[in-house]
Formats: sequence, structure tokens, C-alpha cells
Amino acid sequence: MSGGHAATGGHDAVAYEPVFVGETRAKLEALFPKYPTKQACLLPALWMVQEARGWVPPQGIAEVAEVLELTPAYVRGVVTFYTMYHLHPVGRHFIQVCGTSPCHLCGSDDVIAAILKETGCGELGATSPDGRFTVAEVECLGACGFPTPVLIDDDFIDAVTPERVPGILARYP
Amino acid sequence: MGYPHPSHQKENVVLSKYFGDVEARSFAGWVKRGGYEALKKALGMTPEAIIEEVKASGLRGRGGAGFPTGLKWSFMPKPSGKPHYLVCNADESEPGTFKDREIMRWTPHQLIEGCAIAAYAIGAERCYIYIRGEFTEPWKIMSAAVQEAYAKGALGESAFGSGKRIDIVLHRGAGAYICGEETAMMNSIEGKRGNPRIKPPFPAQAGLFGMPTTINNVETLSAVPHILSRGGAWYKGLCLSNPKSTGTKLFSVCGHVMRPGNYEITMGFPMKDLIHDLAGGMRPGRRLKAVIPGGSSVPIMTAAEAEAALCDYEGIVEQGSMLGSAGFIVMDDSADLVYEIYRLAKFYAHESCAQCTQCREGTAWTTKILARILRGEGKTSDLDLLLDLSEQMTGRTICVLSDSCAAPIVSGIKKFREEFDAYLSRTKAPVAVVA
Amino acid sequence: MTEELVKVTIDGVELAVAKGTTIIEAAKQAGVLVPHYCYHPSLPSPAVCRMCLVEVEKAPKLMPACVTTVAEGNVIHVNSQSAKRARESVLEFLLINHPLDCPICDQAGECELQDYVFQEGQAGTRYGDYAKRFNPVEDFGPDVLYVPNRCILCTRCVRFMDSVAEEPVLNVSERGDRAYIGIDPEQPLDHPWSGNVVDLCPVGSLISKDFLHKARAWDLDKTASICPGCTQGCNIMVDTRDEVVVRLRPRPNLDVNRHFICDEGRAGYRWMNRGDRVEAPVVRSGAGRAAVDWDAAVDALAGVVREVGAGSTVLLASGRASLESLGWTARLLADTRLTAAIRVPTGAEAPLAGISDLALRAERVPNLDGARLAGYSADFDGALRAAGSAALVVLLDVELSDDERSRLGGAGRVVAITTVDDDAAAGATITLPTTSMVEESGTYLNRDRRVQRYHQARSAPGMARPAWWIASEANAALRGDAAPATPAEAFAALGGWLPALAGLDYQALGFTGKVVDLASSGAAR
Repeated sequence: MSGGHAATGGHDAVAYEPVFVGETRAKLEALFPKYPTKQACLLPALWMVQEARGWVPPQGIAEVAEVLELTPAYVRGVVTFYTMYHLHPVGRHFIQVCGTSPCHLCGSDDVIAAILKETGCGELGATSPDGRFTVAEVECLGACGFPTPVLIDDDFIDAVTPERVPGILARYP
Repeated sequence: MGYPHPSHQKENVVLSKYFGDVEARSFAGWVKRGGYEALKKALGMTPEAIIEEVKASGLRGRGGAGFPTGLKWSFMPKPSGKPHYLVCNADESEPGTFKDREIMRWTPHQLIEGCAIAAYAIGAERCYIYIRGEFTEPWKIMSAAVQEAYAKGALGESAFGSGKRIDIVLHRGAGAYICGEETAMMNSIEGKRGNPRIKPPFPAQAGLFGMPTTINNVETLSAVPHILSRGGAWYKGLCLSNPKSTGTKLFSVCGHVMRPGNYEITMGFPMKDLIHDLAGGMRPGRRLKAVIPGGSSVPIMTAAEAEAALCDYEGIVEQGSMLGSAGFIVMDDSADLVYEIYRLAKFYAHESCAQCTQCREGTAWTTKILARILRGEGKTSDLDLLLDLSEQMTGRTICVLSDSCAAPIVSGIKKFREEFDAYLSRTKAPVAVVA
Repeated sequence: MTEELVKVTIDGVELAVAKGTTIIEAAKQAGVLVPHYCYHPSLPSPAVCRMCLVEVEKAPKLMPACVTTVAEGNVIHVNSQSAKRARESVLEFLLINHPLDCPICDQAGECELQDYVFQEGQAGTRYGDYAKRFNPVEDFGPDVLYVPNRCILCTRCVRFMDSVAEEPVLNVSERGDRAYIGIDPEQPLDHPWSGNVVDLCPVGSLISKDFLHKARAWDLDKTASICPGCTQGCNIMVDTRDEVVVRLRPRPNLDVNRHFICDEGRAGYRWMNRGDRVEAPVVRSGAGRAAVDWDAAVDALAGVVREVGAGSTVLLASGRASLESLGWTARLLADTRLTAAIRVPTGAEAPLAGISDLALRAERVPNLDGARLAGYSADFDGALRAAGSAALVVLLDVELSDDERSRLGGAGRVVAITTVDDDAAAGATITLPTTSMVEESGTYLNRDRRVQRYHQARSAPGMARPAWWIASEANAALRGDAAPATPAEAFAALGGWLPALAGLDYQALGFTGKVVDLASSGAAR
């Protein structure tokens, strides 16, 4: 099971710690020879920022732009295209539930309702008051034969039913 | 095989033979099951001979378009010092489709082997495998397998000592359906928004990083080692109906069936048997109402059309739809067609890249109209409006996302009009949907 | 090199065009405008607005005219029923989220959305009562506001900053109908050429703060001109409202500035509206100064030149003066020992990266090369030093500092041909009101040897006359030469003593100018 991310409240007050130092820097630079342009490392670099910070903060966008020799505006255009990058802080555990037709046919609405109730999030997109979960309904997760698939952080869980929800969530403190 | 269910006797398992077999994931396990023999054989052949073999097999793209694979490869220019690229499309995001995920989860080396053969055949030193961001498990399994393939000498500077350089790089998507479109995928790898590109130029002329590029689907590439091992003629012989559709294919069946799963059948297999026998048929007391066979981007089939169709490229067209990616969304008589069509339109509106006017505005507008109908606030004229908008959203844009949004709407209204009428006449209870 | 031609038929017009021409450009040659938004001849084509879809016989679907190249034998229908229906539909889609706030929109009257909807859109809407997309107005930079609600996502602005300015500070953000033009809050749109995005925007989404709510497009008079800001010689349009210059915009000239001008040039119009003007000739007699009519003024000017004879004269001119004025004024003093110079203010060069040979040039005058051709140097200070001991100093619309003016003290006489009623004018022996470049027609010679015309955009104040007229009239009084009556005649005559211009006339210059051969001129450089 992958670890969650530390809560990310109040970081405006805290000075931004660069992501691309030490090991992460080395990890990024190891990618450079695999592509003919540095720009091609943009999606991987954004993943690294999100992995380190739990989301992609504006300073992260600026940092990625600098290391890849792009403008922050360019990076913004790209980062807003892809729905998996968080442009706002999220709870310790980010839950994505599929709600597209095949899963809807098999009861994803009930799974979503169960998750919202169990996490205390109240509504989609919201973070639970304890900062533990953020729940999002997402489009097709590509596991339609295993309804309803749920992605919690990096854990892909097949065939979630409302009954399974409490047990699954208990694994994410 | 219809993983997670045991193989059905009517299946013809080639690609899916080792689904569920954890040992097949490792290099050694794959070799033990006959793996990498095809790559070794291919490295001893000329690229032209490989392409001929694939042409002879009749293999067609399994991602949705159904373009002959060998022919596509033959479009690649002769080596000229410029880099050539192979891109493997593992961005499986088409609603109803979940076959590539299983290939990567269970038989990563099958895909790596196929990529390596194809890369060699088209003169590409490097292959990028673009895996959708949500596929965390396939990503981990593929990463480990690629690492192992390098360690065992199947990939790298001299694949199996052949002197041929073959590199595979995994590239992770980040949540965008449209990146499954081949030119959008190239943009995405280049670190851009996943906007589809205008063609021409075609990828074989100027593709990834402006260089000659071939893009193939996971399932297509996974079939290649088997074709090399057993011969194009053998593959071509796997055909129950139209000789233009050959080989076996994974059919993802989901929705209202008793045994959802991936079923590998010979091309031309009756759809009726696929749904009612292999996939276990409907739940007790339920009747088949509709099937969207190509993933969600194709016209909806009525039960009668589905039950009359043969599962291949031509057979499904004959019954008013398309094979697409062969992800079957099956609906029984409990399904609310209007809601499901609305839900699909919402999907396309969410995924539209925003480039073309008709798609950007049309997908959102049609979603709003469908929502209004569901809320019991629809007007009789809404159906004609939907049909007219759909017509203008079809064949007008850079890629087919907009067409894909229109296909279920048009076919839905034409084939299941009474369900729309029930909402419009307020005889059916409204559904609370926002947009 | 001969171009390979292909024969095509566009809306019934048969023509041969160069192979590789896009349908949209071929149609232009056939006299057919294909409606379009995202296409722009100076930008890469993304083919996203889908407005330019046309019917090509035998093609399975409508083709985007902006990226489809013609093929031999193509029969193309821009105005077929299916093409028109497709355009009508695009317009309908573009309008569903558009605020239709034309009454308060600066673009109204010159809006391509308005124009095409008027031309071929539907009268009503089928969108019904759904809420429209709403996003607040954003401040993009020093002169640009973004009104996202009016945006049609044609992406011209993004492509300009990306491919032409090569400073991608604008982007398309988000997807689907949530998309908008984005910017990073830390990096404003302040590139020295960024104002072009306002012109490129086909609708009223990117607007100029400077022009905001200043005028309705239909109240503007538009005059073809040349930017007086530097030696590049960008072609511009001077927009006036009730005789007041309210806006400068680029005018296409593919050889000089393509479709662009820099922000400094764009903003450089305020001086054109100065109110402190000299409106009548004034001649000093004894301790007093008296306003006179032009006959008397011209006689007075001819008189002082006659008195100088072969003595030394200094001519200090503005680099904004026309070839005609510079040429004729120097001509008037041709028999004297003349030192002529123009003042050349300088500033930082600001190139437009994506276009070769286009920049805001360091020399911030439009006619440096014209002045050189006419015998002026750029050594203003040297000329000013000579002025102290000259028998006659002629100021041709130059403004002098107090210090500079004091250095004229030793001069025998000072003639100020001037637009501005300043201390130099007041202290001159003869003060002659002249026109600024927007009040006259004339020519400039740019740094690439291109002679280009500018046209009168507003009427001259009071009795002000072009300097060429003043000088040529005095010349006629002095020598009995014929005086030109029109700018065209004034220009045509220059060839008589400036060989580089021989044989040229206004008609030959047209709207985009002509490159001249300076080698034949022997002009001092």
C-alpha cells in the first residue's frame, strides 16, 4: 500500500522547499537521455512534484518550468489539461471513484454514496473535516469488468461494493 | 480467457492464455512458457520479412481503427539517420474497454516482446509505452518487467546479442482520455497538452518529435510474437466469417452480464454467444436491451442487432455499429438509456480537449440538453435539436471525439426514442441531474 | 525559378495557383473570402475553429481551407449548402456562451464574430435558457485586458506569443468548454510586442486598456501611414476620431512588418494631438513680432536666405520630417555652406524573435536613411556647435533644450519651421507653422532602403503648411524655380537632385513602398 501525503495546510506561510534537489534531481536528470527534448520530461517532472508535495503548488510549477527551460505559463497550460494533477491541496488520501456508464450500470452511484458517507466528505471534491480524505468521481478508470474500481492514492482496487467500503477505508488512516 | 473467470471452451486463448498466472509475469516464467523465442527469431530476420509476415497474418489494429498493421509498418521510411519511434498505446480509456490492462498486468513480457519485434521491424531504436496515469498496477508490473528485460539482455544496446539496439521507455499519462488518440499521445509524450494534431502529416512522415513514428495498441503488439512464432498463415486462418478480419481478439464485456470479463475469441464469433454464453447472459429475470460494442464511441445496437451480429470489423458494421476497441457495454431492460447516453455525453464533454469549436461547445451543450430531458424539463423539439447538433458534430473536427459523443446520441434517439418520449411526456419520473 | 502551378476552380472561378498554396489563400486569389477565425497568415495554422470548412468535390468530408493545400483539378465550393450550413453551425456553437455584449464592447463594428454572424448566422438561438459560461475580466499586462466571456478560443494570441514573440506567456488552460486563455500570475504580458494580441484577437476578448471605451469603431477614420517611431518603418493605420488620433494599429506589409507593430510604436501617438501649436507665420521686425500671411512669410524666408548668399548655414531637422520636406529645405539652402543634421534619439533595440529583420530599432526616428540620402548627417551635436557661428540657422521641427537654444545665440538669424509654439519658436527671426506627419502626406526611407508613403490623417491646424511647401515656395521666390503644388509633385521633383529617387512617383510606391538603389545616389552616409 502506498503511503499517503502529509497534510498540506498553511503552506503559504512556509517557504517553498525546492523539489528538484538531491535524489529527485538525479531521478529527473536520469530521464533526460531517454527523450530528445527536456520538455518531454514535463509530465514525469510534474508527477515528481505531486509525489513530493501531495499537489502541484504554484511554486512547483515555477520550479518545473525553470528546470525544464519552459515558461510557467506554458507549464500551467499543460498541468490544467491533465486531471490527475492536483492544483489545490487534497486530503491525506485521494479517492477516485469511477462513475462512467459501465460502472454506473453496475451501481457506482451507491459506491460513491457509501464512500462519501464513510469518509464524512459530504460532497464530491470536498475534503473530510479531519483532512483524511478527498473524494472525486472520475471518468472511466479502464476496469469496467471489475465494477466499481476505486483508486486510493496509488492503490487500484477492483470490484468495490458499498459493503466493502468501510473495510477498505480502514486501511487508510 | 475471461479472467477473472476460468477459460470458456468456446474461447480461443492465445494472448490471454496466462491471465491469472502470476508466474508468467517474470522473465523466467515468460521464457518457460515459450516467451522471447519470437523476438530471437525476428532478430534473425530482415525487417522487411517481418513486415511481410505481419501483412500475411491480416492483423488489424486492435485499438479501434482496425487499420492493417503490416501495411502501417510499411509506411515507415527507410532508415535515413533520423530517429524512428515506436509508440505503444497503453492509454486504455475507452469506456467499456479493459483488455490492455489485463495484458500488462499478467503478461508484461508478451507486450515487451511485441514492442521489441515491432521496433526492430520499423527501424526504431526506441519505443515509448504510454500508460494511462490511473493504471498504477500495470505501471508497476511493466516497470519491473522492462527492468528485467534489460537485465536479461532482451532489451538494450544489443538485444539478445544481435547487435540491434532496442530501448523501451515507459511514459505515464496523467488523466486525459483524448491522449489515447495517436497524435494527441505524441503531443503528450512531448510534454504538451494532449491535443490531437491535424493530419497530414501522418505519423509515419512526421510523428513523435517530428520523426517517423508508428503507433500501435497494446493488444496489436501483443499479437505480434505469436504471429512470428506460428506464422502469418496460421493467424490468417483464425477466421470464422469475413476473411478481412483474422486472428483472435479480446472482447471486454461489462455492464449487465453475469460474468463480465475479457473473452478471447476468433474473429467472426457470434455476438449472441459471447453475451449470453461466455459472459453468462443477463441476470435472472432480465432481458437484453442494448449493447454498445466498440467502447462507448460507436452507435448503440438494439438487442436484435446485437444478437444477429458476428464479432468482427465487418460483422458489427453490418448490424449498424462498429467494432471499435471491442469493449461491450451491455444493458438489460433495467437500464435507463437516456441516463446512460447522458452519462456518456458528460464523459465526452469532460474529455474534449477544447480545440475544435463543435466539440468544445457541442459536447457540453448536448449534455445540458440531455440533463434537462432527464429532469423532466425537456421540450419535444429537443430531440430534433440533438440530432441536428450531432450531425454538425460528426465529421467536422480534427479527431473523432466529437463524432464519438454524437454516435450514441443519434443511435439512441433513433433506436430507443420511446425512452426519450417517456421523459418528454412526463410519464417517467424525472432524475435529478445537474448538467 | 519557376513555380509549379495547379489549376483549381473555386466557386466557379478557374485559376492557376502555386503548388502548395492553401485553399484559403487560393480562394483569396479567386476573390473569395473563406470565413475564418484561427487562421492568420503570419501564424501557424492549428485548424481548430473549423469555420473555414469548405466542400472539395470528391473529398469524403468538408476540408479545413486553412491547412488543406490545393491539388490539381480541385473543384472547391466555399458557398455550397453544406459548407454554409457547417459555418452557420460553428457560429451557433460560438455564440451559445458568448455574452452578446456588443453595445459595450470595444470590438463592435470591427468584430469578426459580429461580421460573420451578420453575414451568414442564424437570426435566433436554440440554446434556450441555459446559463452561459462566466469568468471575470483579467489584467494580462500593461496594456491588455482579457475578457474571457467573449473568447472563442481561436488561440491566435497564444500562437503569437509562442511562435512569433517566442515568449510563451499565454496558454490554453483547462479543457472542454471550461477552457480559457491563461497566464502565469508572476509573468505578465509585457513583451515589447505583446500589444499585437489585441489586433490578432478576432473578437473583443483581448482589448487595449489605452483604447478602452474611447471610440466606436464606426466613428473612426482610418488612414494608411508609417510608424514614426523608429527606422524599421512599420506600416500602420492611424485611427482618428473627430480629428484626434486615438489609436495606431499595424497595417500589413509582408516585407517590412508582416502584420505587427511594437508596443512603443503603438503607444507613440500622443504627441500627434498636441495643442500647443503655432498656427500662423510670425516675422520679427525690430523688437516686435507680427503675424503675417504666407506671401509675406515666404518672402521673408527667401530674403534671409538671399542675404546669407554663400555664407554658412545650419539646418537642424527632425528625423520625423518627410523626404519631401528634408529634400526641399536642403534644396533651399543649396547655395550656402550648409551643415545639415537630424536629431536621432536612441533606445534599446527590441526584436520580434520569430520574424527575421523586424525589430524596434535603436534609432527612434523613421527617416534616418531618408535624411542621409538628402544630405543630412546624424551628428546633431556637431551641427549645433556650428550653429553658433552660422549666418543662418533653420530649425525644421526640432525641439531644443534651453541649453541647446542658448547655443544658437551667436547665429545671425534663426528660422523656425515648427509645429510647436515653444521658446525656440518665440525667439526665432521667422517662425513658420508646419504640419506634423499626421497632418500631411509624405514619404520616409526606412533602414532597408524602402521608400514608403504616409497619408494625411487629420487636418492641419490654422495656417500650418508642410515644410516642403514652405521651402519650395521660398525657393521659387529666390530662384524662380517652379514650386510643386502637391506632395506628389514635391516627391517627383526630388529625383532631380537625388538620383536614387529618379523616376519614382507616388503611384509607383503604392501602399507598400519601393526599395531604392542608394549606390546610384552618392548620398553622404
